[in-house]
Amino acid sequence: MQSLSRKHYFQLAWRFALREMRSGLAGFRVFLACIAIGVAAIGAVNSVATAINAGIEAEGKTILGGDLRFELNQRVVSEPERKYLTGLGTVAETISTRSMARRQDQSDQSLVEIKAVDGLYPLYGSLKTEPMLSNADLFKNINGRFGAAAPQILFDRLSLKIGDTVLLGDGIFELRAVILTEPDSLSEGFGFAPRLLISGEGFATTQLERPGSLVMHAYKVKLANDTISAADLKEQAEKQFTDSGWRIRTSANASPALTSNIERFSQFLTLVGLTALVVGGVGVANAVRAHLDSKRNVIATLKCLGASGNFAAFVYFIQILMIASIGIAIGLILASGAPWLASSAIKSFLPLDVSGGFQPLALLLAALFGYLITLVFALLPLGHASLIAPTELFRENGFQANGLPKWPWLLAAAVFALFVAGLAVLTAKDRYVALVFIGAAIAAFIILRGVSSLIQRLAKRLPRVRSIPLRMAIGNIHRPGALTPSVVLSLGLGLTLLVALTLIDGNMRRQISETIAEKAPNFFFLDIQSIEVDQFAQLLATQSPKGVVQRVPMLRGRITQLKGVDLEKLTIPAEASWVTRGDRGITYAPVPPENAEVVEGVWWPADYAGEPLVSFAAEEAEELGLKLGDTVTVNVLGRNITAKIANTRKIEWESMSINFVMVFSPNAFAGAPHAWLATLSDPALDAKGDAAVLNTITKAFPTVTSVRIKDALDVASKLVGQLAGAIRAAAAIALISSVLVLAGALAAGNRTRVHDSVILKMLGATRRTLITAFTLEYFLIGLATAIFGLAAGTCAAWFVITSIMKLQWSFDPIVALTTVALALALTIGFGLIGTWRVLGEKSAPVLRNL
Amino acid sequence: MPDLNKTDMAISLKNVHLTLGAGASKVHILDDVSLDAKRGESLGIVGPSGSGKTSLLMVLSGLERPDTGSVKIAGKEITKLTEDQTASYRGKTIGIVFQSFHLIPNMTALENVAVPLELAGHPDPMGRAREELAAVGLSDRVTHYPGELSGGEQQRVAIARALAPEPAILIADEPTGNLDLVTGEHITNLIFKAQRERGMTLLLVTHDNGLATRCDRQVRMRSGRIEIAETKTKVIA
Repeated sequence: MQSLSRKHYFQLAWRFALREMRSGLAGFRVFLACIAIGVAAIGAVNSVATAINAGIEAEGKTILGGDLRFELNQRVVSEPERKYLTGLGTVAETISTRSMARRQDQSDQSLVEIKAVDGLYPLYGSLKTEPMLSNADLFKNINGRFGAAAPQILFDRLSLKIGDTVLLGDGIFELRAVILTEPDSLSEGFGFAPRLLISGEGFATTQLERPGSLVMHAYKVKLANDTISAADLKEQAEKQFTDSGWRIRTSANASPALTSNIERFSQFLTLVGLTALVVGGVGVANAVRAHLDSKRNVIATLKCLGASGNFAAFVYFIQILMIASIGIAIGLILASGAPWLASSAIKSFLPLDVSGGFQPLALLLAALFGYLITLVFALLPLGHASLIAPTELFRENGFQANGLPKWPWLLAAAVFALFVAGLAVLTAKDRYVALVFIGAAIAAFIILRGVSSLIQRLAKRLPRVRSIPLRMAIGNIHRPGALTPSVVLSLGLGLTLLVALTLIDGNMRRQISETIAEKAPNFFFLDIQSIEVDQFAQLLATQSPKGVVQRVPMLRGRITQLKGVDLEKLTIPAEASWVTRGDRGITYAPVPPENAEVVEGVWWPADYAGEPLVSFAAEEAEELGLKLGDTVTVNVLGRNITAKIANTRKIEWESMSINFVMVFSPNAFAGAPHAWLATLSDPALDAKGDAAVLNTITKAFPTVTSVRIKDALDVASKLVGQLAGAIRAAAAIALISSVLVLAGALAAGNRTRVHDSVILKMLGATRRTLITAFTLEYFLIGLATAIFGLAAGTCAAWFVITSIMKLQWSFDPIVALTTVALALALTIGFGLIGTWRVLGEKSAPVLRNL
Repeated sequence: MPDLNKTDMAISLKNVHLTLGAGASKVHILDDVSLDAKRGESLGIVGPSGSGKTSLLMVLSGLERPDTGSVKIAGKEITKLTEDQTASYRGKTIGIVFQSFHLIPNMTALENVAVPLELAGHPDPMGRAREELAAVGLSDRVTHYPGELSGGEQQRVAIARALAPEPAILIADEPTGNLDLVTGEHITNLIFKAQRERGMTLLLVTHDNGLATRCDRQVRMRSGRIEIAETKTKVIA
């Protein structure tokens, strides 16, 4: 052996491994399935996510509506700004806002997302409608009615057809086409309501844009030449117009919110896929251990013939890698088809082409995870195999691989485990979440190991019972080579994940549909003008005499500086990024809001007239590192206003009542035009009552936007449901891996059971006694695992709900019962399937080979 | 084959002690065993079950390390070697034939015979293995797997494998134990013929006194000690 060069050493080991492969893949089915499923899950999730992001990138200009997009809230561009934009190239202008579209007979109304476009729309891509009309034909004024297009959902909601008219603010529009594809819809962000596409001229007739109205003006630029890149122009515009407060996006960053959400969601699903792979790793370890156990004589023979222990283990290391490669290849084939399979589903909610979605990097990542998990879980059994003594060929010396292998094997396994953790963190968008996942996975393994050890110890210490089957069952739980550790580890991980995800999903949905819905007001009313706010409140009071009406002034503003430092120069923590991203609603108040508690600092006097002050949400201030006395600069209506933090407030966001991150002292916005925001809370109003209020308000105040909270919550609940569906599908993959490992472990245990049952039958045990004993054993292990899975999953879900999501926690007993039933069905079911075969074994051949 | 010219002594055991287990379960397997075997000599080791015959073979082949004592194989003290050095030295110096053949099931007869040659870095392992299979009369079975061979054929492959590296010492542990009488006789003849022709030292463990008497010397073991060693004609110890 020592005379072999390194090259020959590897060549020889490779040759021997190939010879070993001649026995085929029998015994490796669970191994292959576990690796293939895990790799397929990770590969598919990442392929689809990468394909979507590639689609967004490829169609960036179409999605953005131009090479550059400048957005302004509540104002149009100034003359110098317009001059600058037109100097860049062709400029198309759109106006976006929300309002109520009403049937002409005023019998029904619906919230709509209005987009008013000019004649140049769209600069890139094309608007597809049914019937297909030119912009001029679609929007022009015919007999005093401008044209409009809407998706089919709005036609259905208001029972309208093409040619019918809708009222919008003070305007009247003829619906001339159904929108099939709106090329730049993705860059507009998530819409709660259906789109209503009209022309700029048509929008002017609605009178919806009034002082303080929540209207956004977007200027999309098709560059005249490409001598300067869009990114450079963005930087130039930001420097040149520091106070304009416009938000500039380039086509390379067409839909940042969507890209970010896809990345976050795919990361989460990747971690769930990694859980499947880690659970499958237990199956890998079991399969490798069983395989090497069957190769003890071969390893001993090789050592007798001059091979070192490490060489013998290396031969099987290569063989394991070859088998893993087959599993990984199967997983990659399945994953590579995912973008094609998902493309039609994606097209139903994203107007993107993701069909050309072969994603080599995503597949490479999945393959890398597959190999690393194989190594982590195969190295310890291989290390044990290297210790197999050649003396076994002369006598059975009862070698049991219970201890630890030599340190190099342990070190190698630990290094590869670190690689898995490192890769998971490195490829994660939110590294904190990835670290929590890794910590949880390690903790779960240690705890599950401890739990199985505890079950075995308890079984060992139990007093001797009289029932023979029960005594046999208890003995089987704690004897050397018992199934307990494998079953607890494999099923425990799967059940914990399932319980945690089910409880999180259930709590979130209950929170949305019950708790929040009970606390939340019935309506939010936006864009109420100052001159009509009292009249509006009076009408609400007559419509809902017992209702509570709250009203506050509302402006839109964007944070540009914190503590005097530009936002671009600051690293904003992920959990607080929503505060600084884009425009936020802001208000002013002479006295503290009723639903908030000042936790630090003091509120300003009602007649305060000093430097502008602001009250900041306490939790968000802490996340942003803001303290009392720090300054916050916001851009409102193109003006930068800097205010000092005077106090912080504790806010219950889930109450859905009027809450603002920033409440300013009234003098901060003295003279600034603004609208009002109002809520109506009336628990006595049912759906019919809500509809009556909505109809009356919309008729009387056509420019006020009414949002029924229950409708918004329904949309949110549906969205959570869709996300939960994807999460459950990913969790199901982890559970499938878990079940595969369980089935594999139980099947491996059957070899010992054949031996035991033959001996016991020889000594007079009946089939009934044996079946009862085995059933009791599976029942006890399954029950203990279910209790653990339930406890661990509940703890994890409780932590996520109360600490991360900060929602109210409630436990669902149905989950508990389902978990226990599932665990018992799986352990007893799979166990007895194998046992039935065991009991059918003929005694003579087994006895001859004893 | 290692150079035995420097010494005529192929095997030299001095005061070897071997215990297995610990505490109350500690068992003396070999108790102050000393044994020499010359180059080309054949020794038949006999004794009842549990007398230490197999353990003696394992110590001789470096598979078991004695607690105390010296084990020199072809002039080299093997108790001082590391596990890997012992494995390498064993691969070149000692051929072992087992009662249960222990062929590698996924390798053909030819590949099985070539294994020790490949491990030793032989320039033409397959050619050499083919010659050895021809020598045991299995030229027509080279591509067969162990499962496709009879018991006698498997043992012949095992003998060819043991002889392939041209070892100085051949150890056979009950080589006919799993075979019928006629096949056993053929196998025995094959082993003695090879030993004579190649001048190897042969250590044959057997329960069969008749077979042991075909050796130059017989060593009788009882309770981990060499009780008696005798030549074909007279007792020498």
